[in-house]
Amino acid sequence: MLKSVTYVLKENLSNLYRIYSISKYELLGDMRDSKFGIFWNFASPAIQVFTYWLVFGIAWGRNAVTYRGITVSYLPWLVVGFACWWYIRPCITEGCSAVFSKTNVITKMKFPVSVLPATVCLKELFNHWIMMIITIVTLMLCGYYPNWNWLWILYYMFCAFMLAEAIGLVLSVLTMLWRDVKKFITSIMRMLMYFSPILWTCEFKSHVPFHSLLNKLVKANPVYYIIQGYRDAVFYGRSVLNHPVITLYFWCLVLVIFIIGCALMYKFKKKFIDMI
Amino acid sequence: MAKKVDSEYAVICDHISKIYTLRNKDNQHRTDKKEFYALKDVSFKTKKGEVVGILGTNGSGKSTLSLLLSGISEINEGTMQINGEQALIAIQTGLQMQLTGLENIDAKGALMGLRKKRIEEITNDVIDFAELGDFLYQPVKKYSSGMKSRLGFSISLALNPDIFIVDEALSVGDKGFAKKCMDRMMKLRDEEGKTIFFISHSLPQVREFCRTGMWIEGGRLIEIDDIDKVCDDYAEYVDFMNAMTKKQKKEFLEKKFEKRLIEPKPKHRLFHR
Repeated sequence: MLKSVTYVLKENLSNLYRIYSISKYELLGDMRDSKFGIFWNFASPAIQVFTYWLVFGIAWGRNAVTYRGITVSYLPWLVVGFACWWYIRPCITEGCSAVFSKTNVITKMKFPVSVLPATVCLKELFNHWIMMIITIVTLMLCGYYPNWNWLWILYYMFCAFMLAEAIGLVLSVLTMLWRDVKKFITSIMRMLMYFSPILWTCEFKSHVPFHSLLNKLVKANPVYYIIQGYRDAVFYGRSVLNHPVITLYFWCLVLVIFIIGCALMYKFKKKFIDMI
Repeated sequence: MAKKVDSEYAVICDHISKIYTLRNKDNQHRTDKKEFYALKDVSFKTKKGEVVGILGTNGSGKSTLSLLLSGISEINEGTMQINGEQALIAIQTGLQMQLTGLENIDAKGALMGLRKKRIEEITNDVIDFAELGDFLYQPVKKYSSGMKSRLGFSISLALNPDIFIVDEALSVGDKGFAKKCMDRMMKLRDEEGKTIFFISHSLPQVREFCRTGMWIEGGRLIEIDDIDKVCDDYAEYVDFMNAMTKKQKKEFLEKKFEKRLIEPKPKHRLFHR
């Protein structure tokens, strides 16, 4: 087990430039394909946020979210959660096909396959930065100005990266074993979106049966930790130091998933070519 | 004693086999598992600095052998020992259609695992060698297939392994470029003393370039000997195949295919009757 973890870590760390270049040129290739290029990296998440805000904020009249005595109006609250989700979701769905989409490369040259999930996460990180620009502009329009506590976002971004990388390692191998995994995950992610505090606080009211158990289950979702962390940093002036237990839980979970991913990757590293 | 003797060899293959699983004709499910020898019981030794031409008809296992030699795929049976770093020359792999030729030098170079500094070093050489002129600044999707190969091959040359594996890479491009590639390969052979495995269907090219010939047919190693002898024998075999009538040929091929099949193992039964 230790062998597989060191193998994956070594392969990733000794290929940093390769990871960087692959994600850079994939992004560049995507942009060249369309006429407006980088404009779409801005426009498509902005349109998404706008839609959800129209539906949930205006049409359904959700106006403000109160948490720990601080009330935040719906649009800035939504935009922060959405920015975070807009990073994790593509990382995971694209992570599924990280290895499969590079079939032509791994069958034709000797290639460190375990770096592929990292390239996907890095590529999406670029889009995430763009999304963060939109987020910050929206926040400033709503009257929230940057302060030092916002820097905790960088820590939670790292959390999201590691989570996505760990899940990507597992899922990319599983997708090679069964192509159905990707379809399954795409549907699951839609469900997960509603069980993460993105559009609503994800708190079951006391009239719902088993509400305390459900509320605990929601917190077991690692995405909860990250999204809540983003909001803590922006609105509530809290940091990771305020949540030691859930932080420990989150990192243990990431570590376990990562080790499973490494073990799978190590086991199948030379068998991918026979699975295509 | 083993280590010292072995080190003069670049590749030692001892009874290696590669097995693929076949699918049913009618559907995609692998219900009755049929297995198939892509390579069966191949043994050979190759000295360092040797240039081996690999011959064989389509589907005889040449490319499988090249994948095994380059370490991309794993063998199922036998042992294989490779001394030195090996690389398969894959010319069109890693070229991105939307990017320009110049960007592709970076992209493909990084994909092959070159460092940033090394890529900067080779960029001019690649541009010189590929001779694309102003097309260098056009997206690769506008290139003709010959131009793509030029670019891809030029970038591949930046690799510096001990063992080159060239799988039909030189049969593209026009004659002038093919000659240039051959000259470059000759230089690798003569001046740098690389071990080269060369897969090609062009007999004159193989005769000129290689010193040892290896003939693979139906997954088995038929002959490994001096290049001229192997080429003659192989040419004779091809003529023999061409002389056959359609029906004979079909039968012949079927027989050959059947030889490579592995009988499915008797199913393990839980309950005896």
